Amino acid sequence: MCAAGIPPSRRLSSYIPATVGPWLSEADRVYGPETVFGYIDGAGEVYRSYNMRLLVARRFHKDGRPDIVVDAFDMGAPEDAFGVFTHDLDGDDAGVGQGSVYKAGLLAFWKDRYFVSVYAEAETDETRAAVVALGREVAGAIPGRGEPPGLLRALPAEGLETRTVRFLHTHPILNYHFFVADENILLLGRETGAVLAEYGEAGGRSRLLVVRHKSARRAARAEASFRRAYLPEASGAEAVRTENGKWTAVRAWGRHLAVVFDAATAEEAAGRLDAVKRRLEEERS
Amino acid sequence: MSPKPVTRRDFLKVAAAAPLAGAAVPAVRGLSPSTARAPAGDKVRVVLVRDPAPLGPGGAPPAEVVQRMLDDGVRALLGEQDVVKAWKSLIGPDDVVGIKTNSWRYIPTTAEVEQALKRRVMDAGVAEDRIGIDDQGVLRHPVFQKATALVNARPMRSHYWSGVGSLIKNYIMFAPRPSAWHGDACADLAKIWDLPAVKGKTRLNVLVMFTPLFHSVGPHNYAKEYTWDYKGLILSRDPVAADATGLRVIQAKRREHFGDDRPLPVAPHHIRLADTRHHLGTSDPARIELVKLGWAEGAMI
Repeated sequence: MCAAGIPPSRRLSSYIPATVGPWLSEADRVYGPETVFGYIDGAGEVYRSYNMRLLVARRFHKDGRPDIVVDAFDMGAPEDAFGVFTHDLDGDDAGVGQGSVYKAGLLAFWKDRYFVSVYAEAETDETRAAVVALGREVAGAIPGRGEPPGLLRALPAEGLETRTVRFLHTHPILNYHFFVADENILLLGRETGAVLAEYGEAGGRSRLLVVRHKSARRAARAEASFRRAYLPEASGAEAVRTENGKWTAVRAWGRHLAVVFDAATAEEAAGRLDAVKRRLEEERS
Repeated sequence: MSPKPVTRRDFLKVAAAAPLAGAAVPAVRGLSPSTARAPAGDKVRVVLVRDPAPLGPGGAPPAEVVQRMLDDGVRALLGEQDVVKAWKSLIGPDDVVGIKTNSWRYIPTTAEVEQALKRRVMDAGVAEDRIGIDDQGVLRHPVFQKATALVNARPMRSHYWSGVGSLIKNYIMFAPRPSAWHGDACADLAKIWDLPAVKGKTRLNVLVMFTPLFHSVGPHNYAKEYTWDYKGLILSRDPVAADATGLRVIQAKRREHFGDDRPLPVAPHHIRLADTRHHLGTSDPARIELVKLGWAEGAMI
């Protein structure tokens, strides 16, 4: 039971309407982190990686029309709702909730601690309109708003491709977006937060990863682990020129670790790390 | 941990040596470069059979077309012109046979494939009450509990966590806790094939490629936009070789659709590891004899 005495699944269900246009809803199905595989197979691992608490799935049916499915996830915290939303940013901004994308019959958005997917099993003009209308109705029913992860403020604004910003916890998710290593050389886990983003123009694109570990000691260990596995020739140097002629640099301070991949020059990499450090210090002060 | 993790830089090294190969490396980690020079005599046979007949609403060709595709495939796979004789070399009348299918809502194995398989298992002399067809319930199914032989049939599709849903992965429902096999992008799925319920029992693998999914979106991993009518079946005694062949089709479709060599977001390395780590079968195309039958247009491999 939540603080207000309403079970979380009933609260989440209450945000989803009973009908959309001519479509009528079927009975809700409710899943937790241990049962989600029975509904979406191994894809459930993505949501578990973001600490999902609850999923309410509601199917809308109308004879002769494609079904529409609402999957509403209670992720427990806004930063994880934001994070799982950033897992798949392919699509156009639909202006729903606190961030949304629409593509191929699928609308995904986040608001407060909720991530919601509205999906039409076949895309037509009618289902496209219904999916977006349904999404707006669900978003409107969710009363609160959530803060995106504070770690996003570590990203320097200059050159940032804002549509590439992702928040994550675990190394399989990092590898999904940007393969670093087959083993967890950055010591990522459910207790760490990380932001990954791209910078610059196509062709000259670099990536920045900023990780917040649970302790300074853990961040220092992660830096050593990364250097050993990824930059073994670095000795004391911060940056190394890799096989593609670009530069990778790593630095840790306090609980934070930052890595720049594929910078055009060592100076560019160092400059970006300096900027991250400045922003984190500004945040603290 | 292994002595040295594989990092992005390992792929950059390959790219520097051979630019075109390097572009594809993350996508083809499911295949094994280490065995590329295997002797030709060691080749494993895989049959790709396709038919241009229109697909029905369930995503399969008409039942008679599916039966013909399956029969042609089995004949070519086993080198036996009489299809019943061919099946009798796979299955005996005393066998108890489980046909492990896949009931995923959007792209199932299809009833047409299930019934075509069942018919030939019966032609091999197995009584109907000794044949079971199931997916999620195999551990509770009385036929599967007594099975002496298995036929493994499922569609290939891109997958958020394992790169692709494969024949190797199809046996995950024989594990008491399937999610326990999700670690490292399902790297060690092939070990499931050592479980007593399945070890040594598989007589035929059928990878259904009627409407493969080549790209995943959303919680359900699915958008119709990312499927196409390939209208094929891939058959092999070796699940790894069949999966490696299906993966080549998926990758070729991704290149065609996206216009570049875009890797699957999660490398389907469980296919390579099924070969190199678990020795379940052969993943290297150079060690696979691919026999292509039927409709050739758009075969992609």
